Amino acid sequence: MEVNEQLIRAITEAVVRQLHTDGAQNATQSLAGKTRMRPKHSYEGAERAKQGTDPKEVVIGVGAAFQTEINATIGGIPLDDVLRNVKAGIEEEGMTSRVVKVLDTSDVCFMALQSAKLSGSGIGIGIQSKGTTVIHQKDLYPLTNLELFPQAPLMDLETYRKIGKNAAKYVKGEKVTPIECTNDPMVRAKYQVKAALMHIIETEQLDPDKGMIVWEGAR
Amino acid sequence: MRRSKRIEALDARAVNKDGFIDEWPEMGFVAMHSPYDPKPSVSVENGVITELDGKKREDFDFLDQFIANYAIRIDRAQQSMAMPSLEIARKIVDIQTSRKEILEIISGITPAKMVEVINYLNVVEMMMGMQKMRARKVPGNQAHITNLKDDPVQIAADAAEGALRGFSEEETTTGVARYAPFNAIALLIGSQVGRKGVLTQCAVEEATELELGIRGLTTYAETLSVYGTEKVFIDGDDTPYSKAFLNAAYASRGLKVRFTSGAGSEVLMGSSERKSMLYLECRCLYVTKGAGTQGIQNGSVSCVGVAAGVPAGIREIMGENLVAALLGLECASSNDQSFSNSDMRRTARTMLQFMPGTDFIFSGYAAEPNYDNMFAGSNFDAEDFDDYNVLQRDMQVDGGLRPVTEEEVIRVRREAGKAVQAVFKYLGLTEVTDEQVEEVTYAHGSKDTLKRDVASDLMAADDLMKRGITGVDVVKALAESGFVDLAESILNMLKQRVIGDYMHTAAILDEHFQVMSGVNTPNDYMGPGTGYRVTGQRWEEIKAIPHRIDVNEF
Repeated sequence: MEVNEQLIRAITEAVVRQLHTDGAQNATQSLAGKTRMRPKHSYEGAERAKQGTDPKEVVIGVGAAFQTEINATIGGIPLDDVLRNVKAGIEEEGMTSRVVKVLDTSDVCFMALQSAKLSGSGIGIGIQSKGTTVIHQKDLYPLTNLELFPQAPLMDLETYRKIGKNAAKYVKGEKVTPIECTNDPMVRAKYQVKAALMHIIETEQLDPDKGMIVWEGAR
Repeated sequence: MRRSKRIEALDARAVNKDGFIDEWPEMGFVAMHSPYDPKPSVSVENGVITELDGKKREDFDFLDQFIANYAIRIDRAQQSMAMPSLEIARKIVDIQTSRKEILEIISGITPAKMVEVINYLNVVEMMMGMQKMRARKVPGNQAHITNLKDDPVQIAADAAEGALRGFSEEETTTGVARYAPFNAIALLIGSQVGRKGVLTQCAVEEATELELGIRGLTTYAETLSVYGTEKVFIDGDDTPYSKAFLNAAYASRGLKVRFTSGAGSEVLMGSSERKSMLYLECRCLYVTKGAGTQGIQNGSVSCVGVAAGVPAGIREIMGENLVAALLGLECASSNDQSFSNSDMRRTARTMLQFMPGTDFIFSGYAAEPNYDNMFAGSNFDAEDFDDYNVLQRDMQVDGGLRPVTEEEVIRVRREAGKAVQAVFKYLGLTEVTDEQVEEVTYAHGSKDTLKRDVASDLMAADDLMKRGITGVDVVKALAESGFVDLAESILNMLKQRVIGDYMHTAAILDEHFQVMSGVNTPNDYMGPGTGYRVTGQRWEEIKAIPHRIDVNEF
């Protein structure tokens, strides 16, 4: 094959052009200037949740993006099913449930504590949209709890049902055996970045002036 | 598209299960530098800082105010700020410039200036900086001691084995929060069985943690978290002032304390104010310094999945460890949280602290299998002990651990279990059976042990708190149950709080309860032939790994 200078130049140019295109394709996408994940949901006209008086109730406080911007936990469980199971667990123990949406904090401990304070029984459950859950009691320190389920990706519907049951048992003042802990030591590697993004979605939906609102299921 | 078998093989690699994300400064997903980070500046009028990093005093948030009032030496500020950041960076690496001189210069610079300095250093230069700036001459290591069942017998046994293996500090936490007093007592007892003088803590909700400390059931505290933005502080119902107050509460009872912070926490909580992780962490470290505590646990810690997900995240982690050391703080340099599915990547990340040595390379190392690690997994666990010992031997580096024999391990585990059994009986807590002690003695993790009656344990733990049981009761229980030597050790740990020397920067205790800190054994590294070298007895110990070929038997 005859190789002349012209051919070499043509090939070189083609390779360089290709390299430039590849470079552009491989460059990280620019997120600069992007300031939110989802548009702001309006809670105009929402009804403020009332202080409970029923000593048999458990208040379930869900996150700001719950069933609106986020419809499944970080592990992929539909939030409708999560809520249905927690409520069923409470009812199986003969207690009643009331769902509120917490719009003034996305911290699960404070969500749970505020729900407990709102609850007629003093027992509340906080559930973030990514699935992280806490059972709280109104007279405990904010960052302690009755039971904490920090690893949302490991949760299943059976556990959510047991959470409802145990919360109801605390209301009844029974001797409660906490739900067994689960642990996946690689959970952070797999999920923490996604957890951060989901928490951003939740936090940007906060509407502190609205406080806690009545929230019975999806809308 | 027909798939390339090469790419398919690569896609299946563990590293590709990790979470990665592009830089996004608006949401704080940026490690070393954000376009929104402030430019360094300082103005001093009548002995008061009136401008800090481009902000006037009237615009300060509470972090700026705290930092300006307590964390920067006002008499040094103008002189230090006038020195180019590049020059400071070079001095950090220069073996002719002493640690003392660097501390003096750094004491007058602002957080934004610190960010600029650190950005001039690559990871090798950061390691050189750490080798010189670490407070204590000899590096150390800390363990996590936890299990899925919150089994106090296993905690005692793992604590004893961990202490035997060389950890200077041991930290526990709970699966179920109300187990805290049991875990604290079991850790206190077990640690002293393995090696006298090991410090212990129980990381739980702050008020409970303080109470356990005041009662003498723990000997130090670490989980006083600080954050880089006002919003995250407020969300946690805190301010720099409340943290300083909590620090003082521990100090008033003679307990060693360090704070905790790290890159990514503000991102994870959705309030990064568009700043880089390094800048926010610098603010945390200045607050820590200003609050008057002796040290910090940092290096992203529990948010490492976020920091490691962005470009240069691992460099940033080493950078923030170095900032702690530059501020004269004891640095317990994380490595305590799993962040990668790749063994190669997790090891590489740890080498940045392991090779230069830090006050505590891990904070801590899972001294149980990771499935039992209730901090959601550490970067290294009990199954990595031999790998770690070999790394020390390969590189002649002191990583704080030592090889042990199976006989010693079994002996200390059993003794720790027996001691907990005796103390529980004496104090009228839930029963620990002989069978349970035996199973735990030979166990690797909680999958090998017996079930406990959780509801009864929790009732007994609540009761223990109500009865006002203290460290002195534990000493009495041990002494009157025949564990006189062990009782003496725990009494010696309680005495430290009266002596107070172990509140000095980077203090640990040797097996004779003598303090080794940045004050009485300071790091004096100034290049080859100086500083700490692995020699003599310690080197012989590191060499003696198991599984060496016995030439005489060959």
